[in-house]
This record gives sequence, structure tokens and C-alpha cells, in this order.
Amino acid sequence: MTTADVTASTTSWKRRERRTTAGLLSAPMLWLALFFVAPVVYVAAYSIGAITLFPTDTGVISFDDWNHFLRGGSVYMGLFWKSIRISLTVSVVVVLLAYPIAYFLALCVRRMKYVLLLVVIVPFLTSFLLRVLAWKVILGDRGVVNSLLFSLHIRSPDDPVSWLLYSQFAVMLVLAYVWVPFVALPIFASLDNLDRSLLEASSDLGADRWRTFWRVTLPLSAPGVVAAFVFVFVPTIGEFVTPLLVGGPSGYLYGNAIQDLFTRGTDWQSGSVLAMFLLIVVAGLMALFGRFVQVRSVATD
Amino acid sequence: MEIATSRSGRLSLTVFFWLLVVLLYLPIAFLALFSFNEGDPSFPLSGFTTHWYGDVLANRVLVSSLGRSAAVATASSLIAVALGVLVSFALLRRRFFGKPAVSALVFSPLVIPYLVFGISLLLLFALVDKLLTDWFGVYIGLGLHAIVVGHVVVALPYTILTILPLLERLSVSLEEAAKDLGANTQETFRRVTLPLLMPALVSAFLIAFTLSFDEYAIASFLAGSEQTWPVYLFAQLRVPSLLPQLIAVSSVVFIASMLLILSAEIGRRIAEHRYGREFSARGLA
Repeated sequence: MTTADVTASTTSWKRRERRTTAGLLSAPMLWLALFFVAPVVYVAAYSIGAITLFPTDTGVISFDDWNHFLRGGSVYMGLFWKSIRISLTVSVVVVLLAYPIAYFLALCVRRMKYVLLLVVIVPFLTSFLLRVLAWKVILGDRGVVNSLLFSLHIRSPDDPVSWLLYSQFAVMLVLAYVWVPFVALPIFASLDNLDRSLLEASSDLGADRWRTFWRVTLPLSAPGVVAAFVFVFVPTIGEFVTPLLVGGPSGYLYGNAIQDLFTRGTDWQSGSVLAMFLLIVVAGLMALFGRFVQVRSVATD
Repeated sequence: MEIATSRSGRLSLTVFFWLLVVLLYLPIAFLALFSFNEGDPSFPLSGFTTHWYGDVLANRVLVSSLGRSAAVATASSLIAVALGVLVSFALLRRRFFGKPAVSALVFSPLVIPYLVFGISLLLLFALVDKLLTDWFGVYIGLGLHAIVVGHVVVALPYTILTILPLLERLSVSLEEAAKDLGANTQETFRRVTLPLLMPALVSAFLIAFTLSFDEYAIASFLAGSEQTWPVYLFAQLRVPSLLPQLIAVSSVVFIASMLLILSAEIGRRIAEHRYGREFSARGLA
């Protein structure tokens, strides 16, 4: 074979590879372009009035709705901050609860650790609505908690503890419950990959267990902790199902406002503004913290 | 000396762990318990019965909602697995310009709020219908097809995350051997790669299926008049007399999805064993 032949065959091979790559990617990319990217672009366009859907739409591009929203001219900005506050609280609580679990599984359990991890995670993978429904049954005026109090004669049946359900407390409790199993995962991954000899080194150098934990283990597991935090914080900002079921009026959140604008009213333009704003916030958070979230490490462990 | 924990620290962590596990399962256990309870779902229990389960079978609307969910989940998971295989091959076995962008795009449905995605698709279908009625006087409307379209998008990253690590372990040399023995690309894929990859595909399918079967947020915007199981469940929660029935179905669905997830995990383990620990390129974004 001459050099020319070799070059020719490599270029044709390269060309074929390029063609098959296009073949592999065309269907998935087309699907995502049509049903993922385009719809989001439409929402953005609709939020500034660039698309007309209803007879009332003027078709005039205007940023009035954006202005009104961003300047706090409506109740929605307040609801947004309320959602952020609740998400933050839930995320912190959940990470604090999940850390010991992950620590226990990664560093204290030897043989059964993956089985036990599965035991923790399985609830997360099953019906979300079911788990919320369970709490509705537990926290209600005649629910598990209250009927226990009645039978112990702590409260009379005419006077149940009513703040358990339909309150911000209920929203936070249920969200924490729903997310704990999932959040243990990234923390576990970071602790499990930890180089044990570093702990031994720390101990050999005279550090006691607490000092080793604060100075070695915790800093080394920080990426996992940040990932865990992002895992809860990001999806809960836009939460609207849990507040609908257990939140009541005081648990009404930003996500509920968006849903109502689309399902109850016809002010889709304001709804699009709120939805786009949420998406921008989420994208911003992912840009900031995304490098901590290694989806693949989580999936393979 | 054990460095991670002292003896007492270990004990308290063990207690904490099991306490949390109990707390995680307790609410679900209460539901299962109430599904066999004669009266309202509350204490004290008023007697054992299985008639809620019988009522479920007689409830046509409920059963048909379960059927719709099964159909949507089957269709969307099949599509998502097919697309997931294609993306996994491209990301792992091909070098091309813009790989980080492609990888970011396929994984971004993991973080998009389902609320925002749901209304985006609602807007898309409204727009398409408006154009279709203006031009041709026809329209598609919302319904199961709309939910399938959305569920494929959100399930896709999960299928890739299941297939990719296993494909990574699948040695390229087997495929090269097949080619050396005269098989062409299609034959190699059909007779070597696909059978080897099957456990991974089944596992990905089961994960996508459970995700779709249970998905409410997106479906709630797109169902139209065709309620899937979560949409139906949610709508009926306001009817107290139906609650025991709903709890009964939920318990069955819970156990079924738990079994599916466990089979998915077993499938993944089988795949891991089959492929061994061999590694090929890790040139991934």
C-alpha cells in the first residue's frame, strides 16, 4: 500500500465515521430540538409578546410584564423569595440529615453498604404522589398524629393540632422527607471515594477523631455536600405539587402562582415571565455549582 | 484503631441510620395498613377488609387511568431507551465537534423544573394547534401523545446514565472481533453489541417506565381529558370517600414500582458482571 492509499483510506474512514456520528445523533438531537429547546424558546418569546396565541394577544413586543415583575410591582416577587426561603431551609435540613447517613454507610459499614444504600434510596424512586399522600393522611385533623394524641388524652378530639397540615411546616416536612434519600447519594459517593490513608495519616500525626473529621473528612467531602445541596435546592424552588396537597393557603408558593396563571386564568404572558425567570435562576445556579454535580459519578456508584 | 468513628459514635450513627430508615418507610407502611382498614384512614383501626381492593377493580375510570399510564410509560420508555442508546454510542465511541454541548443538552432535562417544561410543551401544542387550525382547519390537541413527547425528554438523561457506564465497560474488542470475522456494522450491532447490552437496556427501560408512570407535574398540563393515573389520583384526592381506594391502588403501585426498580438494579449488576472490569476510552465531557 502506498502512502497515498493509506491517506485515502483514513480520510474515507474519517468521513464514514463523521457520517455515522451524524446518524447516531440526528434522531435524539431532533427530538430535543423540537420538544425541549423550541418550547422553552417559545415561552421566552411569549413572555415578551413576540408570539400571538389568543385573540387578546397584541403581537407587540414589550417588556412591560418583565419590568412589572422585576420591580416587585406584583405579589409574585414576594412569592419567589418565599419559595427561595423554604427551599433553602429544606436543603439545609436535608443535607444535615443525609450527611450522617452517608458517613455511616461509606465509612462504618463494610460488606452490606450498597444493599443498605439501596434500602435508603428505593423510597425516592417510587411514587412521589404516594409519599405526599401518606403525609396528608398522617398530619390531618383526624390523622395518625392527632388520633394518637386523642387516644393518649393529650388533646381532645374537638381540638386537634391543626397546624400540622395545610401549613408551611407541612410543606417543609414533606419536602425534606421526599428528598433525604436522594441527597444521601452524592455525599455517599464523595465519602466512599475518599482515600482512607489520609484519615490514617491525620490520626498518625496526632489528630483525634473530631479533628480528623473537621480538617480532613469534611473538607474532602465538600463537593458531595454542595452537589447534595444543589440536588434539593434547584428542584424545590419550582415546587408546586407538594404545596397544593399539604400547603394550604399559607403554603402557596411561586410554583403555584405559575401553575394558576396557566390553568386558572388566561394571563399566559405573566405566567411565561415567571416561568422564564425561574428557568434563568435555575440555569444560573447550575452554572455556579454545576461543576460540583457530577451526574455520572452518581449514576455509576 | 478505627479512625472514622469511636465505638460510641458508631453506635449512635447506627441508631440514627435505622431510625431514619424507619421514618422513611413508616408513612408508606401506614398507607398499606389503612388500605386493609374498614373505616376512614385513621386510628383506631376499625376492622380488617380487602373490599377496597375489590372496589378498585370495579372503578372503571380508575382502571382506565392506570391503563393510560401504562401505555404512556411503555411508549415513552421505548423511545427514550432507543434515543439513549444512540446518544451513549455517540458520546462514548465517537469524537466530534461540540461534544460538551451535546452532553450538556441531553443532561439538562435533569435540572429543568418540570413545571416550566410542562407549560413550555403546553404552549408548544397551543401554538401548533393555532397554526394548524389557521392553515388547515385541523388541530392535534392535548392528550397522551403530548405526555409521551414530554416524558421521553425527561427520561432520556436517565436512560443515558444507565446505559453509558455499562457501554463503557463493554470491550470494543468483541465488536472488532466480529468485524474481523466478516460481520458488517449492522450485523455486529445486532448479533454482538445488542445482546451484550440487553441487561443495560432493560434496566434503563424499567427506570424510565417508573419515572413516567408516576410523573404528575408535566402530565397535569398535557393530559387534556385523558387522565393518567397520577393526574387522576391528584384530582380525586379531594373526594374523601374515594381515599381508601386510592390508598389501596397506591400501595400496589408502590410495591410494583419497587420491584421494577430492584429488577433494574439487578439487571445493571448482571450487565456489570457480564462486561467485567475492562475499560475503554474515557474521553467524555
